[in-house]
Amino acid sequence: MARQKKTCPICEMGRSSLDYKDERVLSRYVTERGKILPRRISGTCARHQRQIGTAVKRARYLALLPYVAGGEG
Amino acid sequence: MRDYEIVYIFDSALEEARVNEKLERYHALLSGEGRGSVTAVDHWGRRKLAYEIAKKDNGYYVVAHVNTATELLPEFERVLKLDEELLRYLVVVNEGDLSTTPAAVPVPTTDDEEEE
Repeated sequence: MARQKKTCPICEMGRSSLDYKDERVLSRYVTERGKILPRRISGTCARHQRQIGTAVKRARYLALLPYVAGGEG
Repeated sequence: MRDYEIVYIFDSALEEARVNEKLERYHALLSGEGRGSVTAVDHWGRRKLAYEIAKKDNGYYVVAHVNTATELLPEFERVLKLDEELLRYLVVVNEGDLSTTPAAVPVPTTDDEEEE
């Protein structure tokens, strides 16, 4: 069985850069606990994974995304 | 001169007039006298915070795009830090790819093209 080759979902969106203010897009790349998804799960390319990292961290600082989600808060 | 994007989170108890007054005062530090200009100001308005900041659950978000000289930023940030009604702020370099409102989210195309 050949593994299906994953393509980067952000490359496919056709936008070169990621906006840290867009928490709807970013929330797809964090777990329900709020952790950043690893590349092996999200399937993003190296460049976009780095951009996700910065963007999620900025969004957390601005309280658009939680540092720790779930639990009692 | 560089392009910057500034996000402010004000105490949501502030009236809009007070917020505008504050913004005017801050932006005066960065613009005028040919030193720079404010190219866009976008009020997102009241929004729920993802976590409490200074015991507040809501914040009033404002995003501004500014073209200014780098030397003016330290004084600008010093003034921002003194304001207790400004819960938080973020200044980032705008590489020309940021918009003040979050871009409309394109529908995720998850269905892979079937190849025969």
